[in-house]
Amino acid sequence: MESISRISTLLESARELTLDAAQSARSSRTSVRTLPPAQIKKLLDSRNDREVLDGLRKVISMMYRSQPCLTFFSSIVKNVASPNIEIKKLVYIYLLFHAEQEPDLALLSINTIQKSLSDGNPQVRALALKTMSGIRVPAISQIVSLAIKRGLGDMSPYVRKAAASAIPKCYRLDPNTLPQLLEYLSTLLGDRQYYVAGAAVKAFMEICPDRIDLVHKHYRSLVKKLVDMDEWSQLATLRLMTIYSRKCFPKRTRRVKKSNGNQGFYGEEEEAEEEDTGEVVQVLDPDLELLLRSIKPLLQSRNSAVVVAVVRCYINLGTPEYINASVGPLIALLRGPQDIQHIALYNIVSVCLMRPEAFVKYASHFLVHSTDPPQIWELKLELLTLIFPHCDLYMKSLILNELEHFSRGSDKELVREAVRAIGRCAQSDSRTSGRCLRLLLKQITSLDGNLVAESLTVIRHLIQQDPGSHTNTVIRLAKNLDTATNPRARATIIWLVGEFAGVNGEDNVAADVLRILAKGFADEAEPAKLQIVLLAAKVYLHHLNRSDVGADNATAAPVQESSHNYLPEENEGFAELGSPQHSTYSPPEPEPEHPIVALWNYILMLARYDTSYDLRDRTRLYKALLAIPSSTQLASLMLLAPKPVPHTPSPSESRTGFTLGSASLVVGEDGGLHGLRGYEALPDWVEAGKEPDPSLRDTDVKMEYDAQRLMPAGEKLDSAIRESKMVAGSPSKTNGFGAPGSKKTLDDWLAEEEAEEADSDEQESDEDAEETEEESSEEESEEEDEESDDDDEHDRLVK
Amino acid sequence: MTGSIEAVYIFDEHNRPILTHTYNSRPLSAAQLLPLYLAHPAPRSNLIYLPNTSPPTLVFSIYHANLLFLLTSSSEIEPLLALEFLHRVIDVLEEFLGSPLLAHKIESNYDVVAQLLNEMCDAGAVSTTEPNALRDLVEVEGWIGKLLGGISIPGKPGFTSTSSSNMPGISSSGTLAANTPALPWRRANVRHTSNELYVDLVESLSVTLAPSGRPLAAFANGTIAFTSKISGVPDLLLNLSTPSGRHNVNSVMELPVFHPCVRLARWREKPGELSFVPPDGRFVLASYEVDLLPFQNGKSGSTSASNLKLPVSIEVKTSLGPTGADFEVRLFIVKVSGQSNSSPSGLSSRSSSHVSGRGGFGSGLGGGLSGGSSSNPVLDDLVVTVPLPSDVRNLSEIRASRGDITYNPGDKKLDWHITAKEAVAGGATLRCTVVGLLSDDDDFEGNGFKLNGRYDYEEDTYQSAPVKAVKAAEATDEKRDVVKVAQNKMLMPNSANVSFSVKGWLASGIRVENLVVDTRKSRGLGEGVKPYKGVKYLTVSRGGVEIRC
Repeated sequence: MESISRISTLLESARELTLDAAQSARSSRTSVRTLPPAQIKKLLDSRNDREVLDGLRKVISMMYRSQPCLTFFSSIVKNVASPNIEIKKLVYIYLLFHAEQEPDLALLSINTIQKSLSDGNPQVRALALKTMSGIRVPAISQIVSLAIKRGLGDMSPYVRKAAASAIPKCYRLDPNTLPQLLEYLSTLLGDRQYYVAGAAVKAFMEICPDRIDLVHKHYRSLVKKLVDMDEWSQLATLRLMTIYSRKCFPKRTRRVKKSNGNQGFYGEEEEAEEEDTGEVVQVLDPDLELLLRSIKPLLQSRNSAVVVAVVRCYINLGTPEYINASVGPLIALLRGPQDIQHIALYNIVSVCLMRPEAFVKYASHFLVHSTDPPQIWELKLELLTLIFPHCDLYMKSLILNELEHFSRGSDKELVREAVRAIGRCAQSDSRTSGRCLRLLLKQITSLDGNLVAESLTVIRHLIQQDPGSHTNTVIRLAKNLDTATNPRARATIIWLVGEFAGVNGEDNVAADVLRILAKGFADEAEPAKLQIVLLAAKVYLHHLNRSDVGADNATAAPVQESSHNYLPEENEGFAELGSPQHSTYSPPEPEPEHPIVALWNYILMLARYDTSYDLRDRTRLYKALLAIPSSTQLASLMLLAPKPVPHTPSPSESRTGFTLGSASLVVGEDGGLHGLRGYEALPDWVEAGKEPDPSLRDTDVKMEYDAQRLMPAGEKLDSAIRESKMVAGSPSKTNGFGAPGSKKTLDDWLAEEEAEEADSDEQESDEDAEETEEESSEEESEEEDEESDDDDEHDRLVK
Repeated sequence: MTGSIEAVYIFDEHNRPILTHTYNSRPLSAAQLLPLYLAHPAPRSNLIYLPNTSPPTLVFSIYHANLLFLLTSSSEIEPLLALEFLHRVIDVLEEFLGSPLLAHKIESNYDVVAQLLNEMCDAGAVSTTEPNALRDLVEVEGWIGKLLGGISIPGKPGFTSTSSSNMPGISSSGTLAANTPALPWRRANVRHTSNELYVDLVESLSVTLAPSGRPLAAFANGTIAFTSKISGVPDLLLNLSTPSGRHNVNSVMELPVFHPCVRLARWREKPGELSFVPPDGRFVLASYEVDLLPFQNGKSGSTSASNLKLPVSIEVKTSLGPTGADFEVRLFIVKVSGQSNSSPSGLSSRSSSHVSGRGGFGSGLGGGLSGGSSSNPVLDDLVVTVPLPSDVRNLSEIRASRGDITYNPGDKKLDWHITAKEAVAGGATLRCTVVGLLSDDDDFEGNGFKLNGRYDYEEDTYQSAPVKAVKAAEATDEKRDVVKVAQNKMLMPNSANVSFSVKGWLASGIRVENLVVDTRKSRGLGEGVKPYKGVKYLTVSRGGVEIRC
């Protein structure tokens, strides 16, 4: 959502703003004057509140202007006892800034601040608590801790909130206070007021994000308060809940025998593959579902960070339905100001890599505008290529047109990215790769050398991926050697010709290309020369290999009509490739030296006297390799080795490991392999059986949320029957959750029975027995699982 | 993953540091940070990572009103959190110091700014950012109110009246209400002498047109800005409708986003009804998106452009003239009909009693020039921007049938301004001739490129048959031209953007049906008080209409 200040600028025309600015500039230059220190001191020491306030204002101004104002410390600290709240606030601000430099003097003020902790006005109490904890003097950590303790029991939630936010500050002052702080925190997490609880969660995330045992009994109440909290507490709570859920709800899946929807369930690919009949559906724990359901309204939050946090929660915990619901709100972030747009795009790309098909209907949101800065169009182009294979034909051609348009632009970077994007499109969808290739081939006749070179690199990748069908493309490219001037482009073409030199035996253009290139060898740039020498070596090697195989295939070559047709004219140049009149590579004649051999020697000679030592070295290498015509094995291994198919991943694929919404995702590799300092990846799903007991989340007061309230009589009957079947099996507590009310597995029924029993007994069955029996019961229940699938299906259908 | 905000910096337009507020640990000083930030090349990312500082630092940046706002953190932090916080800081500063935000306003109110920043973020964790809550916490002395009153100029009644009547509210709120109010976004004990409610619907266009003029994508990003100056705790109901009626508001207004005060359940039940208790003052109530080409997704993409109604249509032709060095931009200005004209039942009938066009409200705006009431939408600030390739050295000839051109040799773009007076319905053309870096004929060989394809082969003279040699002389001339056309093709612009604003018209046709104060649920609003209500529609395009060529 746009901020109000930006909307205001739209509403008021620029003219009015400048007038306003000019007028106010005139009016208030005078107020920024500074007074001599002595005079300020005099103001501060005054008995008149008004003058003190004035003096404080002057000091604060000096503070922000980075002028020295430590000299006023004692005069200011004196005023801390002032009953005037205005003065108090400014003094506190000064203290927060400077206490570190003058710890001794700052200590003088502590006593007075402590007194304010029992002021009648909650605002004053909160302010005092906030300031005291913010003063960075380690000596007072115990006092702060006590003050927090006192704040816990305050009537005003406002003070309790201040106490919650003081906790991390106290921890920073002295980490040894942690045990006390944890105690406070566990009280505050359960506070009735959502803004107190929110502040407590923020503190929790800062000092002890791993102590999820403190959260169990507040889990449900926190989830319910989540929607009412302020945006910043929502962020902290969403972060906490994502981690908590990963640690406490094992991922459970269930196979569905028949389903009408055919969306892929990406989370479970590996399992989905082993059974072709059934799809695998994630089964949600009721508590987890409670979370996922209750945060859904937050997808319409005005705060983009909250939206992304909810999406992160869905991606990492939720089922595909939830993930699909989060796509639209992500797109809505693109309406925001450019900075939000930029970060949002990183997150969209990250989600899109997982589920590209969900973004197809928003494809037109990703069209690049000429006003977009590079950071934004880069990501937009990536998105277009990611969704490309999933689009319908109309959209595909729209995307290709779009990319073509930008490949003709004048911005070099944009051209490069657009061409690469075309290449990625071609790779991802084989049906359109022909069209993409045509598009790229059109580009190589362009006058823009940069574009040509980029296109050729991409073409090379495409050809390498499917060499069989591209023989003609290579011939067509070879013809472009007449015109292409960019050394990189020439080098690429020559290399490709060399790769295809072995195709069709002697009926190959490579030798002829080499002949023509040899003429202009001296004028080539070094990269092209290197490739020419390589080409020569390859052609020669093929020649040697052929003559080895036998001289009896002499009749192979003569018919070449098919490839001649594109060039009626006979010109000197590559255009004449393969024309019968110039069949330099016609069957080996009984001449003393075959033309290819002559060519090879000629090239060797040319390269030998080149100025580049690299070129000379390489030539020597090839010469040595091919020195003995009868043994070409080693040379074949080196020169004709099959090349690995180049894979060009989407640029953001290297970032996918990072959690959605994190800065590490945006910074990427620069931030280090494991993300930025302080980055922690989400924990893995807890293994089934190792999670904390779900009954920990039951609070003493029975919540109105009850997993069992929706149990039709039929199901009760079913479960009763099953229970009677399993008299011997002792129910295992550890398996006791993982299903939403409507889709329960047998285990869950059992567990609930168990939970009820446990409640009524109030007696923990001894743990040893449970552990030993656990395994056997698990095995059994697994078998049961298989059997009960059908039953479950029925249950669902009944509903 | 709980990074904390370490410091906020503000620099003025000359990159002079005017404010550094440290929250946590020991961040870089403003003087150290700025060169590191500026060292990154020009379109700077809003998140820059400085790996070489100690500790490595993340720098978030936003430009607003010529001021540069930086925020640093040395550990992992949610980037959107940091940026949203910066936006909130800007919003709050504007609210307290008055918009536009200027360097000297900050400098002369350091004490207020210090209190605000101190409340908004507590030791690195964002705390209170709601302007209403901040008004309870931060006291602004009367003289600032006076100062703000003094700034206002008579020509600008719209916002001035807002600020001047807000100020007593700010200064009077002496102490915090006994407990924090039930509604975190609305401050307690709001009193206004004149009760006023204003709704501003602003839609910003984002339209992409193919060279043929066919729209590829057209969106209107709408924002509902709301100004509430009403006593007590009012409960409001805002009804929106679309040209095709109430029933499909939901399908027209896509992907809505709401202020926390809006009751989501009500919207889901009855789309188009926004029920809320507003914060005091100015805020963004909701934002939405309208696809202006609703039926064009998918295969039916061949439909004509008729669905899309814009006040301006544009056409660009490139490679004109004998050497292809000219391009031409044609603009057609169409008169759009206003919001209320399209269906006069709702708004205008009420306008006499409560809701009236904002045009009437802003009577000081100077008549028809910039008034733009909904009955008579006015096209204003019309600018066509043509970005030019970097190889263009100059535009040797620029002819426009109306309006003014801003272009200096070497510029990367050309601006064509048409003032509101000149922007009457009809066509306008602009024709330019480009001059590239290589204007001489001899140069093009040296350029290193030769033309490929049939031209080369057909007219190649140096080895062709004698029959052709005869034609060669005349052929080379032709070829020259062809080469020039091809060369100039690289100098042609490949897009053009149109910016404009239309008051009193919305591209989506969404209208405010009515705005009702629910007297049963409201508290503190005096009996029989009928607040003054105003609605304003505005469509803007900030380079948002783009044509490819």
